[in-house]
Amino acid sequence: MNLLESAIGFGVLTAAVLAIAAVSFTLQFAVTNVLNLAFAPVMTTGAFLTYEVNSRGVSVWVGLIVAMAGCALLSAGLNYFVYAPFQRRGAAPITLVIVSLGMAFIIEYGIAGWQGGINVSYAMSQGSTVRAGGFVLSTVQFMIIGISVLVMAVVHVLLRYTKLGKAMRATAANRMLARNCGIRASRVVALTWALTGALGGLAGTVFAIDVVSFNPTSTDVYLVLILAAVFLGGPGNAYGAMLGALIIGLATEVSAVYIQADYKYAVAIVILLAMLAVRPTGLLGART
Amino acid sequence: MFGFPRSGHRAWRSGAVVAAAVALAAALAACGSSSSAGSGSTLLFADVAPFSGPDAALGPIYLVSCEGTVNAINQAGGVLGHKFGCTHADTHSDPADAVTAVGNLLQTTSNIAAVIGCTSDEAATVVPVFGSHKIVSFCMTGQSEFDQIKFPYFYRLVPPDLAESYAMTVIAKNLGYHRIALAFGNDIGSQTFVQPAIAAIAKAGMKVVANETLALNATTFRTEAAAIVAAHPDAIMTEALGNADPTLFAEIKQLNGGHMIPLIGTSAAISPAFYTACAKAVGAADFSKNFHADNLVTATSGPAYVAFTKALLAVKGKVAGAQTGNFSTYFSAPGAVHLYDGMNLVALSMVAAHSTDVAKWQPFIATIGDGVPGSVVVSSFAQGVAALHAGKTIHYIGPGGPTVFDAYHDSPGIFQIDTYSPTGAVVVAGGISAAQLRAVEP
Repeated sequence: MNLLESAIGFGVLTAAVLAIAAVSFTLQFAVTNVLNLAFAPVMTTGAFLTYEVNSRGVSVWVGLIVAMAGCALLSAGLNYFVYAPFQRRGAAPITLVIVSLGMAFIIEYGIAGWQGGINVSYAMSQGSTVRAGGFVLSTVQFMIIGISVLVMAVVHVLLRYTKLGKAMRATAANRMLARNCGIRASRVVALTWALTGALGGLAGTVFAIDVVSFNPTSTDVYLVLILAAVFLGGPGNAYGAMLGALIIGLATEVSAVYIQADYKYAVAIVILLAMLAVRPTGLLGART
Repeated sequence: MFGFPRSGHRAWRSGAVVAAAVALAAALAACGSSSSAGSGSTLLFADVAPFSGPDAALGPIYLVSCEGTVNAINQAGGVLGHKFGCTHADTHSDPADAVTAVGNLLQTTSNIAAVIGCTSDEAATVVPVFGSHKIVSFCMTGQSEFDQIKFPYFYRLVPPDLAESYAMTVIAKNLGYHRIALAFGNDIGSQTFVQPAIAAIAKAGMKVVANETLALNATTFRTEAAAIVAAHPDAIMTEALGNADPTLFAEIKQLNGGHMIPLIGTSAAISPAFYTACAKAVGAADFSKNFHADNLVTATSGPAYVAFTKALLAVKGKVAGAQTGNFSTYFSAPGAVHLYDGMNLVALSMVAAHSTDVAKWQPFIATIGDGVPGSVVVSSFAQGVAALHAGKTIHYIGPGGPTVFDAYHDSPGIFQIDTYSPTGAVVVAGGISAAQLRAVEP
């Protein structure tokens, strides 16, 4: 087994999972103007919703649908009951960050109260191991990469070719102007919360499949990777998030070949800091 | 939450943590402490341990032991008119957070009879604090500094970590392995095994072919697993609690063509939480077939075992946060067994001293645990109280066996080799003699 080639394969897999989360997070941020630190616990909620379904003998893939629906509701509810009231009262962006941090704790401890602080796994086969060149991935892991590519394609089509996507881009660029052009910005924002929540549920389930064993706090540090990917690519830029995820995914896994493995997430942070120092708007430029 | 990987900050953190601990100890000591409980008040055992973070499974194990023990003590009439209860403080598996948690505990809780738990995650920072408050602690740390520095109120019934490293090496040698991979978490408690293990493996004529440090807050360990598989080890010595070991094992199995590599764990792996997580990650049959762990010899029959299991079964399903796996695993879990013994020693010492004043009852811990000539052997709190009321001196031998406290209040015990059945029950696979340990000791 060539360790470097394997690590590149693992990096692509890590990037695939991260890309779904990062694209969702950055879309949410771009359209709603909320840097939602509760996104990671929403992912965890999705992972556990799927677990609940799966532990009743139902396929993980069915659970994934339930998770997407549940997280869409949760995300929309977060906006409706928490963030939107603050925004209506003119809360500063940093205030909303603090509020989202509080919500992150509430959701996370809520999951811990619901499920206990236990490590769980889905009852599913990882499928046979496929060796392609230096890549050593299971069938399920190839499926994860496929799902991620599909999600990226769907997001691309959504943003480029649908009325909702165009409305989302317009709202992200200038909410006031979009409203004056007849776009119902508040509805677009609400739909964005639901849509990105659903993607969060999908990301959470795919994340849980990927890591095999997870618990209510599993996504704590993962949020740092999401932020790194988002800000590396350019905050608010979906394509930047895809690129950022790929770089971060590869960097974390490949670095583990050459340096002590427990520094691999620190590498992601160093890359992010270097990018912020050289090009603060990220690889793909300013918010769109 | 939202913390960065810890190892990069270890150096300054250690200094900051120690400074914080010393400052807190001084501040709290200045407040003074009550050494004798008010009449009829409830005395508390405080479970100071991780309930969150990578080692979150440990705190609930100790709490099960605590609730079972106090239930048995209270059913036997309590101590000098006092009932016992349990409280807990979550250290978040982090030495700095532990200082804050203990500060809050001491400010809000009176009548703490003794502290239990204090794992390697937090012992270095909290044991001095307890000492300054004259609070006896029965700790589950294996850190070697507690072999060399006297903490007058500190006790432990578990061996130092380096002895566990030797025990794991003996297991590897007994099973005929030569090429050993190490996979330990980057937490303090796990890293203390690494250097002694490397030295012992070399002494035993075996070879370390891979040494991976696992960031416990990472989500996957694929590259680390690939490095281990590529090194073709005969076995993997490991302690990486939380998600790390289950995830690593699953990834190794995948990368190794669906086959597990034999695993040798520490006594911390003997817990329902660990078994359940690993069995779900790689399959119960595969895991149980390939896993061994060192553990201290504990009773599996006899009156002490019967009293212990009865005490724990009385609280089955009643302790929040405890695992719902195979409950019998608690009967072998070091944290459950040895803390049960520690709490019984505390309660019996109070009865023997006719006082809840720690200055009066603390000396009885060693005499009751180690025994003195002419003392009557008792195997439970109820038996001990009856004997004391009959005017006898007692020698308590609980499910963890007799204690032999040294000058540092360490009573290291004797090792055995444990495995799991496919249902998660602990099976004793053999013993480890003192001569075998000495043979691999560098």
